[in-house]
Amino acid sequence: MRLNTDMTVNRITDEIWEIPISEKPGMLVPARIYATQSILQSMDRGVFDQVTNVACLPGISRYALCMPDGHWGYGFPIGGVAAFDVEAGVISPGGVGYDINCGMRLIRTDLTLADVQPYLEPLMTELFRKVPAGVGASGFVRLSRQDFCRVMTHGAGWCVERGYGWHRDLDRMEAGGCIAGADSSTVTDHAMQRGINQLGTLGSGNHYLEVQVVSDERIFDPVTAAALGIVGHEQIVVMVHCGSRGFGHQVASDYLSLFEKAMRGYGITVKDQQLACAPFRSPEGQDYFSAMNCAANTAFANRQVITHQIREAFATVFGQSAESLGMELVYDVAHNIAKVERYAEGAVVVHRKGATRAFGPGSPELPDMFRQTGQPVICGGSMETGSYLLVGTDRAVRETFGSTMHGSGRTMSRAQAKRMVRGKELQQQMQERGILVKAVSMSGLAEEAGLAYKNISEVVESVERAGITKKVLELRPIGNIKG
Amino acid sequence: MAWTVRFLEDIALADLAFEATGESLEDVFRGATQALVESMANPATVPGGWKRRIERRDTDQSALLFDWLSEVVYWKDAAGVVFREAPLMLTWEGDVLFLRACLIGSPVDRKSQELRNDVKGVTKHLYELKQNGGQWRAKVVLDV
Repeated sequence: MRLNTDMTVNRITDEIWEIPISEKPGMLVPARIYATQSILQSMDRGVFDQVTNVACLPGISRYALCMPDGHWGYGFPIGGVAAFDVEAGVISPGGVGYDINCGMRLIRTDLTLADVQPYLEPLMTELFRKVPAGVGASGFVRLSRQDFCRVMTHGAGWCVERGYGWHRDLDRMEAGGCIAGADSSTVTDHAMQRGINQLGTLGSGNHYLEVQVVSDERIFDPVTAAALGIVGHEQIVVMVHCGSRGFGHQVASDYLSLFEKAMRGYGITVKDQQLACAPFRSPEGQDYFSAMNCAANTAFANRQVITHQIREAFATVFGQSAESLGMELVYDVAHNIAKVERYAEGAVVVHRKGATRAFGPGSPELPDMFRQTGQPVICGGSMETGSYLLVGTDRAVRETFGSTMHGSGRTMSRAQAKRMVRGKELQQQMQERGILVKAVSMSGLAEEAGLAYKNISEVVESVERAGITKKVLELRPIGNIKG
Repeated sequence: MAWTVRFLEDIALADLAFEATGESLEDVFRGATQALVESMANPATVPGGWKRRIERRDTDQSALLFDWLSEVVYWKDAAGVVFREAPLMLTWEGDVLFLRACLIGSPVDRKSQELRNDVKGVTKHLYELKQNGGQWRAKVVLDV
């Protein structure tokens, strides 16, 4: 088997591969990659180097993990999962990523493709108008510094209090859309200034808002789908992928710099500067955890304001209230975050970077409505292919610290994608295939072409076969907004 | 122009990386700044109504470049602007290197400007600023 590494990679099962601790000096635990053989063979060298670097961090529990959508990242690979003992372990901004609580949200509707198709152009135009996207975009919500501090501590709840959403939305978000332990005094002025005008904005890069269709033949588990509010029959749903915007990026930058200096004082050395970390219980570690939670809550609020704008856009175009259109939240889940969770080894700080929490049915942390189904997991594909709704499993809780994949994962650089595809032509081709795209940047659109990504269906198959998530349904895009 | 910029493709799959070279330290700062500015928007499409004078200092030239590039990214979001140019000067005062620059740009306007990537941060991944022979070289990876 040819891999992009010289390290020994042992087969544990057809979907689990292990790099033993003998492969790199300093590894404290083995590294495990969840992937089919063909996905493993397509993974870049960075995945193997980085997941084994993570395995060297102090206090790491059990394994350093990488999901099948893994690729090179900063410090941790994208798709990386690692848990650290809360007493003896560390917290690392590189294990969360620059876009803190980048995540996915899915909103259902009672509309069908037949209802929406005649109005797709005005709908996408209205969504493009109402949800600012791209470089430097600012949102319509004007916040005082005091308001912004409340957003940091109250998350999506702040939005609902202000009328940007419904109280029941909060039940359908990871952590109810608000993570405890956020203290705005741990956030720099720079971070505040960078993020204060960005609530309700999409950003750019791989972030998007997508109108999608659910066909009957792409529902794999109709009972679970129905329990989550999806019935098929060409039903329309809306997916949002974005995070904490400039605010979270600045929190990450600020604490990476701080940790580089602080690490020396704690006698910690790392294999890569971007793995800068501090003991979780140290003042620096606790400050980062608090600031990260501020950014995570701001990301929940960001997606909540975007949801409000989406509902308004649908209401305007279809001349009915969002409630009468059945625009309920299906779920909102983070895929760039660190959280304290309890597993067999006790309390650990689970870092998920480009990986999604995937708690199984009966998990005590899930609200009652998901106790039968397991926690919804939303996985975004490229804008040309499809996306998936999955649910978590008990096996994920046992094996992967309740974690799974988050998307399809890139296989091609942005520059290479731009050489192969022109934005305007791609937009035209997608329209001919029934996908209407509105984009702020044509070069940004070309960079996100489907050919730059792995086949999401193959990635989903590997987590399904590994038993760490269960497929519910596949979603097909008909309209996409990109920054 | 005593600097050049080359975008690197094999470093950051999901992001942007570039190498700036210059005949002097000041030149390589200018090249790296131009690469960052061009990553966010086509400068030729950005008028220059917004200005911000910036002064930074450090005893470490590599830290100063990192700090300065991060400052440019900060103003993109804090002021909601993209940039046309950023003329700068470097002067040593004792063992402290001073950067005096002026960021020139205008508020984001997606109708009239060619917008590109919303840069999240300047990373330390493979980051370096080095002098080799008579040539200065900076390697920078941007998270986008």
